[in-house]
Order: sequence, then structure tokens, then C-alpha cells
Amino acid sequence: MSKISLIIKREFSTRVRKGGFITITLLVPFLIVGAITILALIGQTEEKHYKVLIADPSDLCEGEIYVKPGTQTPATFYFYQDMLYVEDFINQPRFQDYDMMVALDDEVITNKTVNIGYRIDPVPSARVYIQKKIESRLEEYFARQNGISMDVYREVRQPMKVNFQDLENDEIAKTANRARILGFLLSVFIFLFITIYSAMVMRSVLEEKTSRIVEIVVSSVKPFQLLMGKIIGVGLVGLVQFFTWILITAGLLMLMRSFIFPDITTPEMVANLQEQGITPGMSEFDLLTYQNDFFNLLFNQVNWSLLLTLFVVFFIGGYLIYASLFAMVGAASDSEADTQQLIFPVLIPLIFVLMLAIFMLINPGGSSELWFSQIPFSSPIIMLQRVAAGTVSLWEVLMAIGILILTFILLTKLAAKVYRVGILMYGKKASWREIMRWMKQ
Amino acid sequence: MSVLRVENIKKKYAGHTALNNISLEVKKGEIYGLLGPNGAGKTSLIRIINQITAADEGKVYLDDREIKRSDIAHIGYLPEERGLYKKMKVREQAMYFARLKGLTKSEASEKIDYWFKKFDIESWANKKVETLSKGMAQKIQFIITVLHEPKLLILDEPFSGFDPINANLIKDEILELKKNGASIILSTHDMNSVEEICDSISLIDNAEMILQGKLSDIRKQFRSDLYAIQFKGMMFGFANALFADFALEHSEQLDDNTALAHVRLLKENNLHDLIKTAMSVVEIESVNEVLPSMNDIFIKAVNKEGGKDE
Repeated sequence: MSKISLIIKREFSTRVRKGGFITITLLVPFLIVGAITILALIGQTEEKHYKVLIADPSDLCEGEIYVKPGTQTPATFYFYQDMLYVEDFINQPRFQDYDMMVALDDEVITNKTVNIGYRIDPVPSARVYIQKKIESRLEEYFARQNGISMDVYREVRQPMKVNFQDLENDEIAKTANRARILGFLLSVFIFLFITIYSAMVMRSVLEEKTSRIVEIVVSSVKPFQLLMGKIIGVGLVGLVQFFTWILITAGLLMLMRSFIFPDITTPEMVANLQEQGITPGMSEFDLLTYQNDFFNLLFNQVNWSLLLTLFVVFFIGGYLIYASLFAMVGAASDSEADTQQLIFPVLIPLIFVLMLAIFMLINPGGSSELWFSQIPFSSPIIMLQRVAAGTVSLWEVLMAIGILILTFILLTKLAAKVYRVGILMYGKKASWREIMRWMKQ
Repeated sequence: MSVLRVENIKKKYAGHTALNNISLEVKKGEIYGLLGPNGAGKTSLIRIINQITAADEGKVYLDDREIKRSDIAHIGYLPEERGLYKKMKVREQAMYFARLKGLTKSEASEKIDYWFKKFDIESWANKKVETLSKGMAQKIQFIITVLHEPKLLILDEPFSGFDPINANLIKDEILELKKNGASIILSTHDMNSVEEICDSISLIDNAEMILQGKLSDIRKQFRSDLYAIQFKGMMFGFANALFADFALEHSEQLDDNTALAHVRLLKENNLHDLIKTAMSVVEIESVNEVLPSMNDIFIKAVNKEGGKDE
């Protein structure tokens, strides 16, 4: 076995055998699936249904409010063709079944003001629904008053559906935006992975330096071999953790598919969906994912194999670059406290890129995206977000990977120089100026 | 036959010279003392021999061939600043380092068994290093250094951290390794151990070689015509008789009638003159030359060099 593989093996095995590593590796998938389950359940929870009593003494609504048959609504309207006082509504037993009262008195016509009293504060979506229904019913009344026929009015008043569409990719932008959020989550994930594992390399370098074991090791292997063995060994730990997470998470999602959700989809929901043109014969889980935006995205719209492959590629690239930088800092420091100062110039770009990722989420499509998805210090974090949103071409991805590899080769050479000098410097912290000088040697 | 030959090594670091034209030769089966004050350049030289750093000028030969990267398998290095992986188990750690030196798994296992048995530490095999005392860890480090049976051992302060019993144990091991044909470079400030076990020495100060040769020759070179005379008789009369030809450096009464005096020869006088003078006043029991201790030689040589610089 070559020396470098001995080092890789040691770095790898000492870490994966640790209790903390095993716990986190096994626990996180459960947390992820738990969060997904909760999200799904929240999406499925029955919303409260409101009974709205419309007091309409002048019979403006003619006792009806139009609701498209077969749709689920947050409220049902009832009519009371007389004056209704608030006190009566509150106190009289016959009104106790209703959650809200709408008073359509003469003021409606003169002031265009409708007062709605409620016992329980309605959720915002119900408020909007009720307001819209009453508004359009009264508009019909006003139209008639002004001699416009009902047919003409309804024709004019039809709600307009507005779709934002990406012209180049012919995909509905809404999906792209939701996918962007997923891409952003992956960015955050890759950021965390890079930071955590690079810091692990730094601590490992520093540990060998402060325990003075490094002098024994480098009397047997070249400093470059030790550095590379360390970076690769720790990186493999990261990959093992990642793949374990993916496998367990996928397994748990399958379990969730077959055990947790079948009961949630009620026959009514099925009927409702069929009415919307969804073919019968889909599994209940498929229906669920179709209905829930988040699940739809997760299970039907994301190309997971592509995203995860690129996640691994960009994690490796970004990790190799940042691990080299972190290793330099570890080698130049003499204690954990020293690293905290020296690490700043390395950490700032990382944090900047994370901020950029957040900015891109809010303002997608800027030209900065193009640049930062190529610059090797930011591409691992930014590119995934673009790939998830589907706003990137293959050559861009390949170019970013190419630049990443070149940078890594260059940077490890510099890191090895700094490392070689730094690890044998005891008793003092090097400044960045000194580090630069070591690079030039 | 020389195992190690270092020729005209120069090494500069930013702003200061660490080694200036250093040469030395270590023979097979020899214990070679590498001495010098702190910061003299010993560690720099050791790192160059170990190929941890490269010299700016000069060459290093192992077995009369210019040293190659692969030769580090024939060198065992115990640095002054040394540690072990705290979280790793003792045997695992020994195995790791043995394999880094190029031993196969079975070779390493065999050697580990031998040394653990020899040092009677088999029961530590599965203990984590962090649970060991400093002395115990030092033993493991020593084993790791010699495990691959190197022909050249470089030991930097090997006795520091050991209690006298374990220091002796290590000393005996070093002598046994020497007997078995290993050459050993011993870098230390413990001059007693230099006197005890070194065959030759080099003394480096301020990047320069200031003293080099066989230990016995160097001690003779630094002789200062000082003799210890033990006699029966009166110290007063003895001191008077020395008069202006000899200097009484030290005297002590051993019992009522016996005394010991350290006398330095002055002018052109020799030992014969001293004995003749003494015989006339006291009854001589023994006369020995007092050779300077390595400690004295070290201080003298370094101070002289320092004086030269000023």
C-alpha cells in the first residue's frame, strides 16, 4: 500500500469510527424526512370552513352567491332577508351556528362599504375568498342598476389568468422559481459541507502540528503526500456521509410513500382531482404529490440524478479548493486561537457567496449569476442553484468544472509550499505576508 | 566505513544563516554527539539529513551514495519536539508509523510484538495514547523510531521526559543498537550522557562548526595541566611548597591525615616537577590527571566563539 493511501486510510477510519459521526450520519436523514413529512401534513390539514350569514334586507344578492359546482371553498354563504343587529347576532341562539355576519344595508350602495363581523378571526385566504365573492355579487347588482346585462357583465368580469413564462426554456417560471429554492437549499448544504469538512482538515493539520507528531510523519513521507492524504481522507468521510444520507433518506421516503400517506387522500379529494382532469388510476401518493406544490416539485419536477451528481462534483471541487486554503491556515497557525484570525480572508469569500446565493434567490437572472457560477471560489455554491432552476447550459457547467479543476491544481501546489514550511514552524503565528512569501519560495 | 557523510552544508532562512559550511562523518556502529547551544542549527542539520528540508548547498551521503528520498526507510528519527496521535491506540499507531517507513503488515506486526515484549508493554497495546503518562508515551516514541531497524538513528534529546530508571533503560537500548551495528546521532544538552556513550562529537554554534573529533581527543585537547593529588600530610606545608611554580585550585581534607588537592602546573613545570616538589613535604597516595568535563569544554568552546564574534 502506498504511503498516501496509508494516510488516507488513517484520516478516514479515525473519523468514521467516532460516535459523533455515526450518530449524525444516521440521525440527519430522519430529521430531513421528518421535516418533509411535517410540510406535507401541513399542506393536507383541513382548513376551517366558515359559515357566513349575509343580512340582506333589500335583497341585493337575490338570495344567491355563485360558486362553481364541485369546488372546495373555505366558506358557505347563507342569507337572512332582514335587518340584523350585531347584538342579536352575538346573543340569539338561532344565529349561533354562523361564524360571520355580513351586513348589506343601504350604506353599501351609497358608501360602497361592507361591514363583516366575525366570531373567530378568519384565516387570510378565507378573508380574501369571502371579500371577492361578496364584491363580485354586488358588482353584478351595480351593473344591472346601470343597465348592463348579466351576460355582458360576467363576460367582462371573468378572472384573468396570468402566467409568467421563460421564453428560452419554455418552462413555466413558477416551477423554475420553486426549483430555485430547492437549488438554494442545495447551495446552503454544499456551503455547510465545504465549511465543515475544510475546517476539519484545518483542525487536523493544526493537531498534528501542535502535538508535534508532524515532524515524525514528515520524516517518513513528503509533506505534500501528507497534505493530500489528509485532504482526500477527510473528503471521503464527507462523501460517505453524503451518500449515507441520500440512501437512508431515499429509503425513508419510500417507506413514507407506502405507510404514512395513503389514509390522507380522501375519496372527495380523489373526485375533486378527477374533475380537474387528472387520470384515475394514479396512486394515492401520486395524487398527493400532484396536489402539494412542494411534493410535486420534489417527486415529479426535479432531475435528482443530475442534481445529486453535480452536487458531488461541485462539493469535491469546492472542498478541494477551500480545504487547501484551510490547510494553509492550519499550517501557519500555532494554536486554535491563531486560526480564528487567519481564517478571516478565507471565510469572507465563502460567506459572501452564501449572501450572493440568497440575493440570487430574490433577484434571479442577473448577469452576476453568470460570472459567479464560473469563478471557482463561488461556482460550487452558485452553479447548483442555477442548475436546479434550469437556467444553465451544459457547456457552462462543464466550463465551471474545468476552471474548478485547474484552480484546485494550482492552489494545492501553493498550499503544499505553505504547508511544508508552516508545519515545522513552532511557537509563532505566521502573518498572511509571510504566507505569501512561502508561496513564492 | 562511514554510514553518513555530510559535506559543506549551507542553509539560509529569511534573514539569517542556519548552517554555514557544515561537514561531518558518522562511522558504522558509532554514537555521534551533535552538540550546540539552543538555536545553533542542530535541528536544521537534522532536518536536512532527514530530507524534511533541503540544503541550499552541500551534499549528504548515506553509505557513500548521495542520499535519496527512499533512504528515509533506513533512518530512524526521534525529534526533540515529539508527539503521538492522542486518540489512536498504541499498537495501531506503531503499526501506522512502521508501515509509513515501508514495512509490510506482517513485518511490522512481528517487530511490534518483539519490542512491546522487550519493554514489557504488551498490555498497553489497545490503550489510547491520551491515557498514557508522558514517560509511557516516550517509550512508544522510542519504539516507533527503532521499529524498522534503521542503520542510522537520529535521536534528539532522547532522555528528556524520562525518570532516571527509564533514562538508563533507553541508554542501554541505544548501546545495544550500537552493538548490533547501528550508527546513532545523539543531539543533547545532557553532557553526562555524552561523556558516557558518545564516541565522537561535533559542536555547532551560530551555524558554524566550532569543535569536532573523537571525544577522547577533544578532552585531551582541552586538558589544562590540572592534576589531582591525594596525600598523607599537612595541607599547609603542601601549599607552601607549591609556591610560585604551581597553583592550588582546590583542596579538601578527606580525613584527619589525608587530603586531596587539585593542582595546576605553571610556567614550564611538568608532572615530574610536581611529584618531586610534593614528595619533599607529603606522602603521595595517588596522582591523576583531571580531564575537563564535556560540560566545561562546551562552555569554554562556545564562550570562546562568542568572544571571537564580539
